[in-house]
Amino acid sequence: MTFRARLLLGFGAVVLVPLTVFGLRIRAVMANRLTAEYQQRVAALVSVIRADLDRQSAGIALRLAALRDAIPRDNLFRTALQGGERTHLLDYAGDAMQLAGLSLLQIQDESGRIVSSGHFRNEYDRSDPALPRLLATAPAGTALVEARTAEAPFLALARVDSLRVGGRRFTLVGGIAVDSSFLARLAPDSELTVSVALPPDTSAGADPATQVVSAVTVPFVTSGDAARLLPAHIVVSHSLASLMALRRGVALSFLVAVLVTGLIALLLASWLSTRISRPLTALAAKTADVDMDRLDVAFDSDRSDEIGALSRLLGAMTERLRAGAARLREAERRLAMGDLARQVNHDIKNGLIPIRNVFRHLGQAADDSPDRLAAAFRDRQATVESSISYLENLASNYARLYPQPAGESCDVNAVVRETISRVSDTGQAELRLELAEGLRPARTDALVLRRILENLVGNALDSLAARAGHVTVSTAANGQGGVRITVADTGKGMTQDELNRAFDDFYTTKPGGTGLGLSIVRRLVLDANGALRVETEPGAGSAFIVELPGETW
Amino acid sequence: MIPRYRYVIPVALFAAACRAGAPRAELPLPPPAPAPGDTTCAIAAGRAAARDTVRLAVTDPVDPGHAPLPRNDAERLVFGQLYESLIRVDCQGRPLPGLAATWEQAPGDRWAFTLRDNARFWDGAPVTARDVLASWRSHDATLAASLTVTGDRTFTVAASDAPFQRLADQALAVTKPAPGGAWPIGTGRYWMTSGDPASPDALVAQPMARSGQPVVKIATGPAGGARDALDGGADVLITDDAATLDYARSATGYVDVPLEWSRTYVLLAPGREKSVIGDLRLESLREAVHGDARPAEWSGPGRFWFADLPSCGAQAGRDTLGASARRHRIVYNQSDRSAADLAARLVGLGVLGRGAVAAGVPASAFAASLRAGSDAAYVLELRRQVYDVCRAALELPPWSSAATIEPLLDVRSHAVVRRGIPRMTLDWDGTLRLAPP
Repeated sequence: MTFRARLLLGFGAVVLVPLTVFGLRIRAVMANRLTAEYQQRVAALVSVIRADLDRQSAGIALRLAALRDAIPRDNLFRTALQGGERTHLLDYAGDAMQLAGLSLLQIQDESGRIVSSGHFRNEYDRSDPALPRLLATAPAGTALVEARTAEAPFLALARVDSLRVGGRRFTLVGGIAVDSSFLARLAPDSELTVSVALPPDTSAGADPATQVVSAVTVPFVTSGDAARLLPAHIVVSHSLASLMALRRGVALSFLVAVLVTGLIALLLASWLSTRISRPLTALAAKTADVDMDRLDVAFDSDRSDEIGALSRLLGAMTERLRAGAARLREAERRLAMGDLARQVNHDIKNGLIPIRNVFRHLGQAADDSPDRLAAAFRDRQATVESSISYLENLASNYARLYPQPAGESCDVNAVVRETISRVSDTGQAELRLELAEGLRPARTDALVLRRILENLVGNALDSLAARAGHVTVSTAANGQGGVRITVADTGKGMTQDELNRAFDDFYTTKPGGTGLGLSIVRRLVLDANGALRVETEPGAGSAFIVELPGETW
Repeated sequence: MIPRYRYVIPVALFAAACRAGAPRAELPLPPPAPAPGDTTCAIAAGRAAARDTVRLAVTDPVDPGHAPLPRNDAERLVFGQLYESLIRVDCQGRPLPGLAATWEQAPGDRWAFTLRDNARFWDGAPVTARDVLASWRSHDATLAASLTVTGDRTFTVAASDAPFQRLADQALAVTKPAPGGAWPIGTGRYWMTSGDPASPDALVAQPMARSGQPVVKIATGPAGGARDALDGGADVLITDDAATLDYARSATGYVDVPLEWSRTYVLLAPGREKSVIGDLRLESLREAVHGDARPAEWSGPGRFWFADLPSCGAQAGRDTLGASARRHRIVYNQSDRSAADLAARLVGLGVLGRGAVAAGVPASAFAASLRAGSDAAYVLELRRQVYDVCRAALELPPWSSAATIEPLLDVRSHAVVRRGIPRMTLDWDGTLRLAPP
């Protein structure tokens, strides 16, 4: 996991976890408080409904009592009972029901036969004795009944009363409709719902997960042939929809807060990690560039923090590596020179030993028998010649370690450009060219000239080291039919002592140098029949001037 | 409610005479000449006095779109003044001249008719034989095909198995379309004006000729407001509301005239082969309605006309809907109080079993449901007397031939008539007409 990712996770944990805990806690407390409040409201409404049912029951009882007194005084009713116009009897309950403000009114005779029905005029002559009997046994004399009209059944809160007319006993069943408007009147609060749960479904009729529920038990007279008195419930429920909505609102606000906070944390962590990781990344890139051939990587830093200290430590370590590498190269150079010297020594000895033996033999012959000296010389001449030939071959072979210059026409400017283009690829310092137009060719080997230039330009660049400066290579006619090539730098220059030893073999001021560069350059220039001179000043730079003979036209 | 008050006795006697002689399902063959006019079918309460205006009050809606065929008592009263058939049939079944002045047997088993000399449409155009042909084409193409125009005012019609009296059917009244699409233009003694600005709810019918006939104003209103109509000075009130009739009997200057048992309520149950009401005593239904009703009975020869539907060639179709697809309810037109009472009584008696309900629906919904046969049963009223069974059968839904049609109650309306109004006559189908002076 990257440092940046860890930083982001850390920020998230520090910011979001407390925020989440806070939000959840707020939601839980709020839900508990509101649920408790809802329960109180539901309980209060249940009490109100109980009182209202009692009041309604008393009202029904009063109206039935009024009818109980009015019916015996109605002569047409009496006449109809005696076999007169029955229409009046059939219509009586309907008119009386409306006048009494009831929704249900049934007049039954002593056998339970319906004599007149207000809510369902044409159910007359139907027998339903169980209804008044069960109503009479209901607690408080009031019960819910499922009444019926021609169009549909309806629920009513009913009571029973009785009267006597003409020596016959009649029962009055009266009630008010328990319909949606009745229930709506019971629940003036729009968030509170009142419903009726009839048997056999005596459950609360509401989902406790979404509602706060309480109920009032009311007796219920079932309809049908097997009429019974069973408990029904008037269910009061308080919808938790508003609570849910509030929860959703809080959750939404919380989510927005988390997102905004997370975004801010993300931006902050990103900025912070960038600020921290970018120098580390740069330091890592620099460190990746360091190897034994490239120990000039700078680890300078102005920072005063841990990254600055780390950078400086790496710089010091690179410096130590650089010193160690110089020592290692010196040791290698010395080892290589030693090997070369031992090889040359061995090879020369191989060539000299036969010659020395021939000379010893000739010396011994001269001492012992001078007359045989000539014969001895002839006998051993082949050996001497063979050894000389061996040494010549040996010399030729060593001479092949250096290029053999060829005398040919050479476009100096082209070689300079080609060489500089290669050198300049290193990008160590600024290289400037000042090439003369129409320069005549020099007579030299282009390969030799390139090697000369490589050495001189390389030394010039090295003399700049880490300093700002530039190297200028210029060409010009030297006024003698030849070509002048100048390699000037603005480096550290040379002291007189350094200048005196500059062309010595194995003399060098550069760490890791072989000390052969300038000596080779001088020899190559001389092999090309040219001349080499140096103009230098310590601290101001040096200029190496090569004069080469021109091509003969 | 059976009238039993002293005011009604003279009229009851008249009604009894009328019922005694009234034709039932089958009419006697008509005489080749018009029956002589008499006053047997006249309704008059006291001596008639000349009046400029006669105010009629009805408790059923009057829809011009139904003209000329009435759908209720109110439309029968109004349309009877506006439209004419070729002939009339009086309360005793005797053909009388209508639009046709004379008729006679013609060769080739045909009847030859001659139109009245002064027969004119409301717009003044004379009525020709071609007008009769054009009108019949829009009402009865078969009958129209049998008509042959023989002159400007004469034509012949092929005799058929149907009784001659069918030509008195209001469905065959001669009309032509009105330009505005309102009341069809008829040939009756009255024409319908645009109304009375003083009382926008009233219809105003003007006499065609200045022959001393009064202007007729017809006020429509709910049954509950019928007593107000009497208090408001109505001369004739057609109603079946028992409370109104009680009130009218107690009011001075009015006579309660029971009209014919003109309608029969039936229970129409699609897809059933057996009786729905079973052995139910129809007497127990009589008290269920508030109007003047009796258990349905056919007192003449034969039986109810709707029991003869197969004779019209209607084939009993297969019940494609099925009992389970029908709603378990008894449906009625909610504007028909007697139908509502009957449906409620049938539910109360449990004729369709437990769980069935009665459902009153608007007239258009009732017509749609009846056409589809999508409910278990329907309570509706049918004309008790029809001139042409097969023509009347067209007013029933097509599935009726595969249904049970059980008569429940006969009902009739009453005419509450102010004493001294111009004479009115009663036709065989219950149509009341103001008699010419």
